[in-house]
Amino acid sequence: MNIANTIIDLLQSGLGGLAAYLAAHVLLCLLPAFFIAGALAALMPKEAITRYLGRDAPKWISYPASALGGFVLAVCSCTIMPLFASIYKKGAGLGPAITFLFVGPAVNILAISFTGVQIGMDIALARVILSIVFGVTIGLLMAWFFRKDDAAHAEKTNNNNLFSGKAKIPTHTIIFFVLLLGTLLAGTLQIGLFRNVLFEFTVPGSWPLKLQNYLDGLIPPDPSLGIEGVSVHGLFLIILLILIGLSAIKGFKDIYEGFSTWTYITLGLITLTLIAASFFVATADQGLVIGFNGRLISETLLLAGVWWMMAKKFEENQRQEWLWETWRFVKQIIPLLLVGVFAASIARALIPAVWIQTLAGRNTIWANLAGVIFGVFMYFPTLVEVPVAQTFLSLGMHRGPLLAYLLADPELSLQSILITNSVIGKKKTAVYVILVAIFSTLAGLIFGWFIR
Amino acid sequence: MEIKILGGGCPKCHRLEAVTKEVVEELGLEAEFIHVKSMPEIMAYEVMTTPALVVNEKVLSSGRIPSREEIKSWLIDLKK
Repeated sequence: MNIANTIIDLLQSGLGGLAAYLAAHVLLCLLPAFFIAGALAALMPKEAITRYLGRDAPKWISYPASALGGFVLAVCSCTIMPLFASIYKKGAGLGPAITFLFVGPAVNILAISFTGVQIGMDIALARVILSIVFGVTIGLLMAWFFRKDDAAHAEKTNNNNLFSGKAKIPTHTIIFFVLLLGTLLAGTLQIGLFRNVLFEFTVPGSWPLKLQNYLDGLIPPDPSLGIEGVSVHGLFLIILLILIGLSAIKGFKDIYEGFSTWTYITLGLITLTLIAASFFVATADQGLVIGFNGRLISETLLLAGVWWMMAKKFEENQRQEWLWETWRFVKQIIPLLLVGVFAASIARALIPAVWIQTLAGRNTIWANLAGVIFGVFMYFPTLVEVPVAQTFLSLGMHRGPLLAYLLADPELSLQSILITNSVIGKKKTAVYVILVAIFSTLAGLIFGWFIR
Repeated sequence: MEIKILGGGCPKCHRLEAVTKEVVEELGLEAEFIHVKSMPEIMAYEVMTTPALVVNEKVLSSGRIPSREEIKSWLIDLKK
């Protein structure tokens, strides 16, 4: 085997991963998730949650509120640090602030839906539940360790009206979020209600099979390595996705100047893509089989509801802000994600499975610790931890250490440790980091033991 | 008039600065713009979320980009 061949193999593996990924995961999961994240950032009145995080809030309110706040408010990293610092210095104190800091990056809507679709609902659920439980536990422990400092702090804190906002979340905003969440769930949940084909028809012709054979030749599926390949349906969706990207550049960039024709074209394309992705499509000898299923019906109804509410219930500047925030997330995350997926797919072809299996193939303390340490030293941008984890999984990593890695990675990058340090100081940061490392290791161990 | 934009350089902060500048120009006001990026300085104000708009040391908004009309009415009030 010569070098040129090896490089071609690697590129093929990278492109294969990327294409399969775009077709299978980005669409029904990430597309709605980006819109939800945008809506959380734009439409959710922050005071509705911060009012529960004041200095006088009792513990049983401030800790759950911090965890909820992490989920709702942390969608923007430029909001999380001032909020963290405010809760710590002027609000409920160190404990709830730590809970907020911990829960935020782990339980954001993008990371969770993405983990669920690409790695499995078991890991996604474990990620949510353990992050919340550990966030509160670590917060309580920190508050207890440093109770003297915190008491001194509370005395210094003057009365301020930072946390006295009385905002409530309007009912129509709540319904809007339920609808958005519905499009995400209807698009991704693999249950009979959505999957079962109600009726189908066949578009006759021999081209689908030829095209599928060509695609399989281009990107050979290899289930043993977790390489999925691309279907005819997938190819169609990838083309639509590229069109969305191109029209969004024109349609969303100047959204504050008002809705342009391009904005409507982009929104139309997105709707079309989500609906097209819901059909059941398979290639057969006689042609292309197209099936109508529950997913198609629910997606269509939900999307109609979303657009109707957006047009009737929200004001012009709210609509603009929503799309602007969504677009900001896409611009910030998608390029890094594509590079990350490509690199992770290449790594899958390069790293010998034996290494991963020896290091983390079984659910031991050391394997879980290795997962955590890898998470600390490898800094991956938001969401890239997911394709990386999938690569590990397909190379034979046990699901326990995998969870340990997924919990530690967004919490403990060197960068976030430095920022935390600047707010709460060296000693508290060190204790925090050690606690997170211990808890993530334990989480992996317990989870791995449960699913055995 | 001294206008401060508080925020660690996120896209929202730039957006807020741009909108405010437009309003200032439209009203023909004399204003000095300062972009406050350091966390301790931001924390000295009563804000929890960025970007925040501070005019003559008074916090007018935080955590969101106010509409053009809102900013306009605040600035007209302060001018009086």
